[in-house]
Amino acid sequence: MRGFWVMLKKELRMFFVSPVAYVVLALVMVLNGFAFRAALSILESAPSEGSIVTWTFQPQWFWLSYFFVFPLLTMRTFAEERRLGTFETLFTAPVRAWQVVAGKFVATLIIYALLWAPSFFNFRVAHWISAGQVEIPAGTMGGSYIILLAMGMFNLAVGIFASSLTRNQIVAAILSFTLSLCHFLLGVFVMVIGRKISDSVVDVVAYFASAEHIRIFTSGLIDTRPLIYYSSLTLLFLSFTLQVVEFRRWKP
Amino acid sequence: MIDVQNLTKQYAGRTAVDGIGFHVEPGEIVGFLGPNGAGKTTTMRILSGFMPATSGKVTVAGFDVFRHSLEVRRAVGYMPEMAPLYVDMKVKEYLRFRAELKGLGGHSMRRRVGEVMELCGLTDVRRRLIDNLSKGFRQRVALADALVHDPKLLILDEPTNGLDPVQIRQVRELLRELRTRHTVLLSTHILHEVEVTCDRVIMLNKGRILADDSPRNLASKLNASTVVRLEVETKDEKAPVKLEGIQGVRKCTEETVEGGAWRHFMLRVEPGFDVREAVQALATTEAWRVLELHRELPNLEDVFVELASSAEVMKGGRLS
Repeated sequence: MRGFWVMLKKELRMFFVSPVAYVVLALVMVLNGFAFRAALSILESAPSEGSIVTWTFQPQWFWLSYFFVFPLLTMRTFAEERRLGTFETLFTAPVRAWQVVAGKFVATLIIYALLWAPSFFNFRVAHWISAGQVEIPAGTMGGSYIILLAMGMFNLAVGIFASSLTRNQIVAAILSFTLSLCHFLLGVFVMVIGRKISDSVVDVVAYFASAEHIRIFTSGLIDTRPLIYYSSLTLLFLSFTLQVVEFRRWKP
Repeated sequence: MIDVQNLTKQYAGRTAVDGIGFHVEPGEIVGFLGPNGAGKTTTMRILSGFMPATSGKVTVAGFDVFRHSLEVRRAVGYMPEMAPLYVDMKVKEYLRFRAELKGLGGHSMRRRVGEVMELCGLTDVRRRLIDNLSKGFRQRVALADALVHDPKLLILDEPTNGLDPVQIRQVRELLRELRTRHTVLLSTHILHEVEVTCDRVIMLNKGRILADDSPRNLASKLNASTVVRLEVETKDEKAPVKLEGIQGVRKCTEETVEGGAWRHFMLRVEPGFDVREAVQALATTEAWRVLELHRELPNLEDVFVELASSAEVMKGGRLS
C-alpha cells in the first residue's frame, strides 16, 4: 500500500505545481456559474417542479463543459511519464504496477471532486441570500453529486487508459475525449432514434445513457444500477490500463 | 551478485541480445563496452527488472529477475540512459519522492536524502527546479536517485554521457568512492572510460560477448601491432630505410615537423616484437642524438576494433 500513498501524494503535488489544475478549475467555475445563472433565470420566469440543482445539472449546456474536464485532467498521467522517460525509473523502483495506476486514478478523482466544490457553495449562497426561498432539497443535492462522482470515475478511468497508450499528451486527450463522447452520444442517439423503433430499445439503452442517469439522480432518485454500471466500467478500464502498463514490461 | 546464463532478448524481428552469459562478483566494477546498438541498454533493462528476457536465466543478488522482480528492484539502483527526471520537481523534492517510493520513510529517509545530496554535490542546488539544471547536475540527480536506497548493485547506463571533461572526472571519482559499498555495472561506448574505472570489461557487439577480462589483460593478450615513436637529430637521408631494416619493423614513416633539427619517426612494429633495443643500437652506431624513444601499448580502442573485425571474419564466432 505504501507505493500507492507515495504515488498519490506525488500526483496531487504535481497537479498543483503545474498550471493544469488551475486552468481546469477556472474553466469549470466559469461554466458552472453560467449554468447556475441560467437555472436562476428559469426559476424566475415560471413556476417549476425542479429545484435549482436540477436546473443546473440537467440542461444541455451542462454537457458543454463536462467533457473537456477529463482529457485535461488525465492526459498527463502516463503519456508524460513515457515522454520524459521516467516510465523506466518508475517501474524499476520496487513498486507494483497496480499501485501506480491506483495512485494516479485516485489523485485525478480527488482533483475532479474539488472541481464541483464551488457549485456546492453557489447553491448554499443562493439559499442563504434568498432567505430560504431558493430551496436546495437534500435528495437532489446528494443525488447530483453522487452521479457526478460516478460518471467522473468512469470517464477518468477512460482518460487514464488513453494516456497509457501513447507518449503524446495531445493524442491521449483526443482519444479520451472521443471515447467519453462516444459513450455519451451512444446513449443520446439511440434514445432519440429508439422512440421511432420501440420502447424496449429505449429501456435497454437507458442502462448506459448518461443523460438519463443525470435526469434521474438530479431529481433526487438514487438508483443503484447506474452506480454499479459506472463502478464496474471504471474497474474494467483501470484493469485495461494495468494490462497496457504491464504488457510493455512483461511480454516478450 | 549478477549471474546471467544464456540470455536472449528479441524484439519484433530483431535480436538485441543473443545468448550471452557472464558473472559479476560482489564489490567489482564491471564495464559494458560496445558501440551503440550492441545490446548494452537492453541487457541492463533486463537486469534491473524493467523488461523480461525472451529466454535465459538472470539472477541478481540471489533473486530471479522475473519471478522475484520486487526483491531485485529493491537490491538494484538503476540509472537509465539520458537521466530521465520529473522536470517540474525540485531536487530535494524529487529525491524524497524516490526514497519514499523505494520504501524509506520518516527520519531515516530525510537523513539518507541529505547524505546522497552531499555525496553527489547537490546540496547547493537542492531547492532548484530540475528543469533549470544543467545536464551535469541532472546526471548527478539521477545518480543520487540510484544511490538513495543504498542498493547492493548499481546499474548505470552511460553515466558520463553528455558531460564535460571536468564533470566526467567528477563522476569517475565518485564511482571509485562507491566501490567500497556497492557492486557497479556501468555501460559506455567510450573506451578510455572503462580503462580508467573498471576492474573488468565485458565487450559487446551485435548482442554477443566479444571478450570478458580485465582491461590490462585484454590489451596485452591481444597480438595488436604496436607503435614505436622516435625523435632524433640526424641529417641522414637514408634514416627511414635504415630503420625499416630492423627486424620486426613493418613500416617507418617520417612525420614532418616545422623548424628545428629534430626529426620524428613512427615505426609500425609486427606483433610480438620489441624493437626499442635495436633502434637504440642503430642510433648509437649512426651517431644520431636521441631525444625520445617510446613504445605505445595497444589501448582498448585497438583491442576493440581488432576483436570486432576478427569476429566479423569468423562470422559471429566468439573470442574470449
